[in-house]
Amino acid sequence: MTDELGALTTIFTEFYYWVTVVLMFLIHVGFCMYEVGASRYKHHQHTLMKNTMLIPLVTVTWFLFGWWIYWAFPTGPGLAPSIMNESAALITDESAFSAKWYVPTSQLMAVNLGDHISGVFWAAFLLFSWTAASIVSGAVIERITTFAFGILAIAIGSVFWTIDAAWGWHFDGWMLKLLGYHDAYASGVIHACAGGFALGILAVLGPRIGKFSSSGEPRNIGPRNPWLVTVGLFLIYTGFWGFYAACNIPIFNLGPEYGMEGVTYFTATNIYVTPTTLSGITFNFLMSLSGGLLAGYVISKGDPFWTYSSGLAGIICASAGNDLYHPIQSMIIGMIGVVVAYKMHYWVERKFKIDDAVGAVAVHGYAGFAGLVICGFVLNGYPSSGYSVGSMWVGTDYAAINPLGMFIGALVMFVVLGFIPGWIIAKVLHGIGKLRIPREVELAGLDYEIMEAAKDDEKSVASASR
Amino acid sequence: MATVSNWIDHLSAKEVAGAVYPGVGSEGILVLIAFVLWVGWHVISAKQESDKLAKLARKRHGPNDWKSNVTDG
Repeated sequence: MTDELGALTTIFTEFYYWVTVVLMFLIHVGFCMYEVGASRYKHHQHTLMKNTMLIPLVTVTWFLFGWWIYWAFPTGPGLAPSIMNESAALITDESAFSAKWYVPTSQLMAVNLGDHISGVFWAAFLLFSWTAASIVSGAVIERITTFAFGILAIAIGSVFWTIDAAWGWHFDGWMLKLLGYHDAYASGVIHACAGGFALGILAVLGPRIGKFSSSGEPRNIGPRNPWLVTVGLFLIYTGFWGFYAACNIPIFNLGPEYGMEGVTYFTATNIYVTPTTLSGITFNFLMSLSGGLLAGYVISKGDPFWTYSSGLAGIICASAGNDLYHPIQSMIIGMIGVVVAYKMHYWVERKFKIDDAVGAVAVHGYAGFAGLVICGFVLNGYPSSGYSVGSMWVGTDYAAINPLGMFIGALVMFVVLGFIPGWIIAKVLHGIGKLRIPREVELAGLDYEIMEAAKDDEKSVASASR
Repeated sequence: MATVSNWIDHLSAKEVAGAVYPGVGSEGILVLIAFVLWVGWHVISAKQESDKLAKLARKRHGPNDWKSNVTDG
């Protein structure tokens, strides 16, 4: 950096992503509080520990291979050629955005005076990875082993969501080109994918003991600490602000980027390098949150657990198109997402005996899926990229956003990269006897021995006179 | 081990080397160590967890026994 303006732009961008990372940490704090609030007393500490340990597990694997996958896989491989090198192979060449720079042995994956962006951008995506794994964590509480959860967290956090991000979020992703896929704030890329993954695990893991009566009627195992649930969800909302900012590029000159001769146009862009504004997405974030809360309050008849979760579901449903929607459209879409999530949750629970302890599949999976489908209709005809506008299935240019492409995209996210991998890995873990804790432990409580030791400690301290 | 011993010399070079961490060039070994630590952690923690769960399962506590362990602070 030798000129002041260039240095300011670079360091502003570095600082911008750094701030988003710190804000997004609150998502994880919120998930931890929420899960502990939703779990029963005898499982509290293990529930918290499970969600805590995903932080190092996903972080280390994100460093070793997760980040590389994002940069290597936009073409599929083999599905649509890259706009950078016109090849449909993995992107591992010498180009500026090649995965070559993001292998763990790369000198850019460290303190490097020539690179102010890789680390903060890596971290922003890593926080998305934690979120993906944390979504799964809530659904499976009180009966999964920490070992199995660790493997599943790595699978969703450092492999499957990364592949879907390469396919449907990367500016060169094949889903943009072939399908006209658009998912600015990750209705599908994170939420539908992680929700589908959680559902796949739940189908193998089975319900908590006592969740269903002998006649198959579901019983409510409600949150044990509504205050933790409340504060947890509010922290998730807060971190979600950071997530929205992290999905944008704060300052970009689109004129030269799009090859427009003589045009200079500085703007913030979304992840696809198409223009939007922080101002606009702030309208939409708050209106979709409000729509979700309003709908959740009515449909659950004022149930606090569902009302707070519905605020989140509202944002998630509108997120795919929140870079372009009108705020009132965002609000209405948020409302629709909540109705879909709530109704689907109870239908699936009764029909398939699925015990989703915190409603994660509903809030993230069904609302995210619905959001993608709705986006296909509301943004029908908008370009999915600024680079070149083309037709579906061609692959050498970018299809416009359309309902069919978005529906197929939703299936790719929820089913292909979510449900199926979750189900297969859970089956393997179940097959080797490592998926679920023993029945006796589930009844006694995962924290039994910790609590017993604490009681003994307390007794000895209480009886001490010096 | 030190990659930089004089910042003035380093920054006034014709081409400033970006990587300044100790042991530039040893990234492969570091990654190998990280990989071993990662896999090793899974192996050790899985064994610990299995032993702990098996021990607790053998005791066959009832679903409400934990209540006798609640401390009053």
